[in-house]
Amino acid sequence: MAQPKHKKDMVADSGHAGDYVDDSIRLGDEANGLFRIAAGIGVVGIVLAVVLGGGLTHQQFQHSYLTAFMWGLSIGAGALWWVTLQHLVGARWSVAVRRVGELLAHSLVLMALLSLPVVVPMLLGNDSLYRWVSHEYMASEHVLEGKAGYLNVSFFAVRCVIYFGFWALMARYFLKASVAQDKSGDTSLTARMGRASPLTMIGFALTLTFCAVDFLMSLDAIWFSTIFGVYYFSGCVLAVHSAMVLALIWLQRKGHLVRSVTVEHYHDLGKMMFAFTAFWTYIAFSQFMLIWYANIPEETHWYHMRLEGAWWPATLALAILHFPVPFFGLMSRQIKRNKTTLALGAVYLLVIHWYDMYWLVAPNLHKEPVFHAADFAAWVGVGGLIVAFVVWKARSVNLLPTKDPRLQRSLAFENV
Amino acid sequence: MSDTQAIQAEAGPAPLHGLLAEYDNPTALVRAAKKVRDAGYAHWDTFTPFPIHGIERAMGIRMTRLPWLVFVAALIGLANGVLLQFLTNAWDYKWLVSGKPFWSWPANVPIAFEMTILYSAFAALGGMLIFNNLPLPAHPLDLKERFARVTDDRFFLLIEARDGKFDEVDTRRLLESTEPLLLDEVLEDRVTSDKIPRALIYTLIVAGAASLVPFAAFTAARARHSEKPRIHAIWDMDFQPKFKAQRANPLFDDNRAMRKPVAGTVATGALRDDDHMYRGRVGDAWATTYPAGVQVTEETLRVGRDKYNVFCAPCHGFAGEGDGMVHKRAETLGQGWVPPSNLHQEYLRLQPVGELFNSITNGVRNMPAYGPQIEPDDRWAIVMYVRALQRSRASGLGDLSEAERSGLK
Repeated sequence: MAQPKHKKDMVADSGHAGDYVDDSIRLGDEANGLFRIAAGIGVVGIVLAVVLGGGLTHQQFQHSYLTAFMWGLSIGAGALWWVTLQHLVGARWSVAVRRVGELLAHSLVLMALLSLPVVVPMLLGNDSLYRWVSHEYMASEHVLEGKAGYLNVSFFAVRCVIYFGFWALMARYFLKASVAQDKSGDTSLTARMGRASPLTMIGFALTLTFCAVDFLMSLDAIWFSTIFGVYYFSGCVLAVHSAMVLALIWLQRKGHLVRSVTVEHYHDLGKMMFAFTAFWTYIAFSQFMLIWYANIPEETHWYHMRLEGAWWPATLALAILHFPVPFFGLMSRQIKRNKTTLALGAVYLLVIHWYDMYWLVAPNLHKEPVFHAADFAAWVGVGGLIVAFVVWKARSVNLLPTKDPRLQRSLAFENV
Repeated sequence: MSDTQAIQAEAGPAPLHGLLAEYDNPTALVRAAKKVRDAGYAHWDTFTPFPIHGIERAMGIRMTRLPWLVFVAALIGLANGVLLQFLTNAWDYKWLVSGKPFWSWPANVPIAFEMTILYSAFAALGGMLIFNNLPLPAHPLDLKERFARVTDDRFFLLIEARDGKFDEVDTRRLLESTEPLLLDEVLEDRVTSDKIPRALIYTLIVAGAASLVPFAAFTAARARHSEKPRIHAIWDMDFQPKFKAQRANPLFDDNRAMRKPVAGTVATGALRDDDHMYRGRVGDAWATTYPAGVQVTEETLRVGRDKYNVFCAPCHGFAGEGDGMVHKRAETLGQGWVPPSNLHQEYLRLQPVGELFNSITNGVRNMPAYGPQIEPDDRWAIVMYVRALQRSRASGLGDLSEAERSGLK
C-alpha cells in the first residue's frame, strides 16, 4: 500500500499543521438570535402553509410543500456532494470554507424529518400528490402496470429510508471526523475521509438520481427522462454554492473567519455558480432536445403541458431567468470578487432555483401558472427551518477545520 | 552551445540587449519586481521555474484583454453556427427530417453551441500567442548558460536596453539595490534569427490554400451538370442490404416489404370500443342522448359552431337551410346537382342524435363521410350545434321562462 507515502505527503503539504489560527472561529450570541428568528419563521411558515394550503393532505399544500422540500433538499444534498468532492480530489483551496459546507450537508438530517409530510400521507393511501398511489389509476393505464413493481408506496418508503439514511450517515460522518480532527490534529483522519469519498460519491450519484425520479419525476407516472437525476443535481450544485456564499458573508459580517476566508475563496465559489448555470442549461436542453426530436407521445406530453397554452410564458421565463441572466450576470471577474454583487447573484440563484422546482411540480396540479400563498409560506418555512438547524449545530463546532493538514494552503490560496 | 558562441564571437562585439539579475528565491524576485515597476520601466520581464502568485501585481501587469477577444469570437461562432444551418437546411437545400419544420431552433442548438466553443478555443489560443508575442524562435537569453537554471531553481529579472528609461549606470544601480546573486549583461544574439522561418510560413500558406481545394471542387460540382453516374464513396452505406417501406420483397408470399400488423392490432389511443361515442349506437338503436364523454356546455356548442362553419356551412349554409355557397354556385352552373338537405326539415328535427352523428361520420346520399376528417368529440359538438340551430327555428312559447313570457306581453 502507498499509505505511508500518502501520509508523509500530507505532512509536507501542511508545513504548519496545527498552527494557531488568528481569527474568530466560534459563533457567539448573535447565533442564538438568528436561531430563534429562523426557527420562528420556519415553524410559522410551515403552519401557514398547512392552513393556506387547505390542510396536510390537501393537494395545494402537498404541491407547495414538495416544491419547498425539494428546494431545501437540494442545498443539503448539494453540500454533501461538495464536501465529498473536496475529499475526493484532495482539494486545498476549499479547506477554509469546508466546515460551512459540512454544516450545510448536516441539514440532511433535518431533511429526512421534513420528508415525512410527503411520505406519511402517501403511506396512508393519499394520492393528492402522486396519482400512482391509487390502485385504480395504476390499473387504468397499460404502461403503468409494468411500473407497478417500482411505483408502489411500500417500496417508495424503503427507498426513502435508504436515501435519507445514507445521506444523514455520510453527512454526519464527514462533519464528525472533521470536528474530531480539530481536537486531535490527527492527519490520518484526512486520509480516512479521502478513502471514504469515492464510494460516497457513487452512492450519492445513485441515491440522488433515484430520489429525483421518485419525488419529482413520478409526479407524472407515465413520463420518463433518463437525464432527470442530473437535471436535479445541477440545481443542487447551484443551490449549495449560493448558500455557502451567503453563509460566509453573514459569518464575516458578524466578525468570524474575516482573515481566513478571502476574496479568492468567494471568487472560486462564484466560478462554480457561474459554471453550473451553463451546466444546468446544458442538461435541461439535452433533456428537451432528445424528447423534442424523437417526438414520442409518452415523452412529449410532459413538455406539451409546459410549452403550450398558459404555461408557455412561465417556461420561457424559466429559460431566460435561469440561463442568460445569471450566465452574463456572473461572467465578470469583478462581480465574483465583490461580496455585494456575489451575494446578489447567490440570492438570485436560490430564488430562480426555487422557481425551477415550482416549474417541475406545479403543472402537475394547475392548468396555468398560479403562485399560491402556500407556495411561499412553505418555501419560507423550509428555508427558516434549515437555517435554524444549521445554526443550532454550528454553535457547538469550530467554523474552520483548524488542524486540517491542508488548511495553510487554503488560507494562502490565490487565483492567478 | 559552444559552437554558437564561437560564431557569435566571430561576428564581433554584439550590442547590449539588457541587464539580467539572478535570485535564488521567489520572495527576492517579487521584491525586486516591485522596485523595477515603481521605477517606471516598460520593457522588462521576470523568469521563474514555476508560476508565482502575485507576480503580475508586483510587475504592474494589467488584466488581460483576452476574455473580450474570446467573447467576440464566441458570438461570431454562435452566429456562424446558426447561419450555417439556416443556409444549408432552411434556404439552400431544404430537406424534410421527421416532419419537423425546415427551420426549427432546437435542432440548431448543438451545432451553434459547438461552433461557439470552437471559435472561443481558437481565439483563446491564438489571442494568447499574439498577446505574448509568440512563437518566438530565439531569444538572447538562450545564449546564457546560467539562464538554463530558470527551469530548475533560479529566478531571473531582465531589463531590456531598448527601454526608454534604460541607462547602463542607473539601471545597474537599481538592480544592485535589489541584492541579486549575480548581475550580468546580456548581449544581442546576432546569429540566430528570432523570426519564424520563412519556409514554415510558406508551407503554412500553401497548406492553407490547398485545404480550400475540396471546397472549390464542391462549389464547381454544384454549378455544373454531369452525365456520369454519381460517385459512391461509401458503398455499404449507399447500398444497404435491407428492404425499404413500400417496396417489393420476394422473401414473403405477398411480396410486401412492410409486414402487416397482427390482426386486431390497435394503435395507441385508437381503441374505438365505445359504440355510443364512436358509432352513435346504443344497443340496436340510434342513441338519443349524448355519450358520457361529451359535456353539454356552452364551450362544446362553441366548438360545434366553429366546426360546423368550417365543414358543414359550405353546403348546408350558416343557418342550416341548405343554401351554402357550394349549393349556390352549383345552381348557377346548372349541371345537375342534388341540393343539400335543409336541416330544419321535420324528419331531421326528429332524428335521434346518434343517427345525425352517423350521417356526419359515414355520409348520407351524396354527402361524403366526414369521420376521417373530424375528431369524434368534435362531430358530437357539431350534432349539438345542429340541434341548437333546429331549435332556433322551431321554438315556441314553452321555451321561454315565466319572466320572459310576461315581458313579451
